[in-house]
Amino acid sequence: MSRTHVTCTVNGDEVDFLAADDTSLLDALREELGLTGAKEGCGTGDCGACSILLDGRLNCSCLVFAPEAEGRDIVTVEGLADGDHLHPLQQAFLEGAALQCGVCTPGFLVAAKALLDENPDPTETEIRYGLAGNLCRCTGYDKIVRAVQEAAVQLNGAGK
Amino acid sequence: MPRVHLMADHRRFTDGVATLEVEGATVGAVIDELERRYPGLGELLTHGASAGIDGVIHADPQYLAVGPDTDIWFVAPLSGG
Amino acid sequence: MTATENPTYTWVGTRPIRHDGYDKVVGKARFAADLDLPGQLHTAYLRSPHPHARILSIDTDAAAAMPGVRAVVTGADFPDLDPMNPNFDVSVNVMARDVVLYNGHAIAAVAASTRAEARSAAAAIDVEYELLPAILSLDESTADDAPLVNENNITRFVESDGPSNLATVNVNERGDVEAAFADADLVVEREFETAWVHQGYIEPHACVVDVGPDGRADIWASSQGHFMVRAVTAAVLGWEPSRIKVTPAEIGGGFGGKTTIYLEPVAARLSEKSGRPVKSVMSRDEVLRATGPAPAAKVRVKIGATSDGDLTAIEGWLGYAVGSANDFAGLVGAMSVASYKFPNLKLEAIGALTNTPKTAAYRAPSAPHAAFAVESVIDEIAQQLDLDPIEIRLRNAVVEGDPTAMGMPHPRIGFVECLEAIRDSEHYRSPVPEGAARGIGTGFWFNIGEQSSATVNVNEDGTATVITGSPDIGGSRASMALMAAEELGIDVYRITPVVAGTETVGFTDITEGSRATFATGMAVVNACRELVEDLKARAATILGVEAEAVDWVDGEAVADGKDPLPLAAIAAKAKSTGGPLTETASLNAGGAGPSFAVHCCDLAVDEETGHVEILRYTTAQDAGTAIHPSYVEGQMQGGTAQGIGWALNEEYVYDDEGAMQNAGFLDYRIPVASDLPMIDTIIVEVPNPAHPYGVRGVGETGIVPPMATIANAITRATSVRMTSLPMSPPKILERLGER
Repeated sequence: MSRTHVTCTVNGDEVDFLAADDTSLLDALREELGLTGAKEGCGTGDCGACSILLDGRLNCSCLVFAPEAEGRDIVTVEGLADGDHLHPLQQAFLEGAALQCGVCTPGFLVAAKALLDENPDPTETEIRYGLAGNLCRCTGYDKIVRAVQEAAVQLNGAGK
Repeated sequence: MPRVHLMADHRRFTDGVATLEVEGATVGAVIDELERRYPGLGELLTHGASAGIDGVIHADPQYLAVGPDTDIWFVAPLSGG
Repeated sequence: MTATENPTYTWVGTRPIRHDGYDKVVGKARFAADLDLPGQLHTAYLRSPHPHARILSIDTDAAAAMPGVRAVVTGADFPDLDPMNPNFDVSVNVMARDVVLYNGHAIAAVAASTRAEARSAAAAIDVEYELLPAILSLDESTADDAPLVNENNITRFVESDGPSNLATVNVNERGDVEAAFADADLVVEREFETAWVHQGYIEPHACVVDVGPDGRADIWASSQGHFMVRAVTAAVLGWEPSRIKVTPAEIGGGFGGKTTIYLEPVAARLSEKSGRPVKSVMSRDEVLRATGPAPAAKVRVKIGATSDGDLTAIEGWLGYAVGSANDFAGLVGAMSVASYKFPNLKLEAIGALTNTPKTAAYRAPSAPHAAFAVESVIDEIAQQLDLDPIEIRLRNAVVEGDPTAMGMPHPRIGFVECLEAIRDSEHYRSPVPEGAARGIGTGFWFNIGEQSSATVNVNEDGTATVITGSPDIGGSRASMALMAAEELGIDVYRITPVVAGTETVGFTDITEGSRATFATGMAVVNACRELVEDLKARAATILGVEAEAVDWVDGEAVADGKDPLPLAAIAAKAKSTGGPLTETASLNAGGAGPSFAVHCCDLAVDEETGHVEILRYTTAQDAGTAIHPSYVEGQMQGGTAQGIGWALNEEYVYDDEGAMQNAGFLDYRIPVASDLPMIDTIIVEVPNPAHPYGVRGVGETGIVPPMATIANAITRATSVRMTSLPMSPPKILERLGER
């Protein structure tokens, strides 16, 4: 099967890989680039475990073909921290016990970053609807929503 | 003698008797005696029951020591999620 | 709300960041599907399109010749176990032999270089079937002269005279219910039904298996217990367990659904045949079509009461549709309905087979169905007698010494304390919001102990490694570290909790029945206590005093007239005082304490659409002692959210051919963030006397009360009694229309 040569930016680094036309971007990230932070929970765009930012917009990477990434800018959970310095969302998830099994966590962190990038001071309802594309079966969402609220406070405080 | 309490399912072996006194120094010995008295019952208790003693349920009670004042409650096996 | 902080402990009851948390927020944590081995093959399964059929022939020749295909297996590649072997049903479930028992049942599997090649090859396998009559509901299964679902099924736990559709029977009886009903001032009887629901873990089943030329297998798997994976895989393959080494991957949710296996023996056989490592990952569609949901059920309940609200008798028939094969759970969960004193009681629970996926444990297995019915009827009695729903429950609640349904007396339990906690809560004391209604429901789970092992090593820098064999589903590593910190008297972050594989830690049973923090925690405490004795002896040598003169206080050896000797100083002299500092403890834990919960919910019903909006939710649950309160709250909140999904949305939809019509997260809709409010928690702490810190398991109970809690609120909102789950908008509209 012929494979397409794809060049793109992932977490700030220019990378290239070969991918069959029907390979999902999720599989390319996980198998060609070794970035296994994004997970496949459904493969149909219903669970959000594979959430990434594509040119700054939230996407389910299981629904994007790998060749579509050509020339695009991608951020995965592996790109949220600044070196050893965790993103305030990551810190808030840790301190607020906003994860149990942790398999949905990468997707939630990316989706929450997309939400706060767009709306730095969301209400609880806005957070709940902003994260409604991400499924968590462990937490009942309570501590996730609180962690996002806390991260928003931290981010807003840092900006002032 | 230890007192044995049977599940309703098992009382047909004993003509409906729910509680009876059975000799034995361990749960296994008690079950053996029950099998002797009511053929078939011991087999079901060995493979299809746990034993509740002093508020604690034991899944593999065969060698558990029992005394003259022990109450043994045979209950269905329990598993969790 | 926060837990009662226990002032007597330094670490137990605090909320440190979990030790495995960093890896999980930066994407480094390794779940089973995150592992790749060089040269690995990928799998695809052919699954039955029929709910019940005899396999007349399987032709795999064309598939085996397709590009990239390295191995194909069918049922013929596995030994036939004796039907009385405890692993017989699993062995048939992982790969059908001559009969398929449900739509989705595995018939063949292919290993190929790519997933696409494997899928193409699986589709090219040709199977001839002879269709057999299919049983798709409890009523069909229990009907007179019903065809057999599974000719190998023998009824468990009672005498049996040949194959039957009855999987298990459990009857409990005391007193005289007929006489009690005749004397009662009020008798309420109703029938309820619930649908098949899935555990809905976000991580599909996955494993990587590498069988070497020496015939030994390395397995990396996501499960609730890797010793179970080893034992059951070996049984299905006809191997000795010690041929298999299982390394536990992180587990992406289980809730009971990963207490059994599906993929590992098949991947092992494919690896053996191909000589290559094999990675096998289920699709979501396969998870829903072929792994265990919780049973669907019908429950008939009749309860008698005096006009004062004393509950005098309960009669119940609880029928569970357990799928294609025996579920070894003894339906004791069904007996958890007896949360009340009930002097007269007759409960019969049965499990009946259906040509649907073999069910699996799901959080407090069989209890939610039962509690939905009983708690609904009790609420109806409270309404008819004009009693407060908490007062009637307090009046009848079981306390220590009262009999369970099985007759055995309850140990120390905290049901009354949970009822009082809700009664006294700000939520319950506040007025019901305009346009809303409030419901109360309760539930409990017995909890279990079982076998655990722990090894604790003191490292040369004075830190400690705590090694256990309990997969960490929801923060249990942190709990182990907290208990070890308390025992050793060192900072919790100087302890590294590790979940080790089958060759590096002693045997440990599955993480189930809320047992990890209870039983494995007890093994950790025991190992630490032995270690402290050793540390005191080493300190005595170093200090030149008698061993009895040394005390262990806050991580230091203390003796009169000597400077305290901290753990790190003793560790540094380990070699010269007798060698490495390490202790191992193992046990078969008894004394798991039941955990009760009481829930309170405010909701609004949109009478135009039938939609139910949960406005406010509070849960009070007895944790015994909360080791890490945040993760206790997490269990309470998570169980509650699953219960809310079970109550309002979730159900398997089958067509007439037994094909699941909603095998994806779009149509099998679990709650999302916007469906729920915050879930407030009140941790009640009535210590379990059988645990050194008083721990009760907390994982299971949270899912038991929500269905009745919500149904009771809907009744108070609409005057309609909902008796069928899920209480979805169409069903609510239908009932509203009948008013």
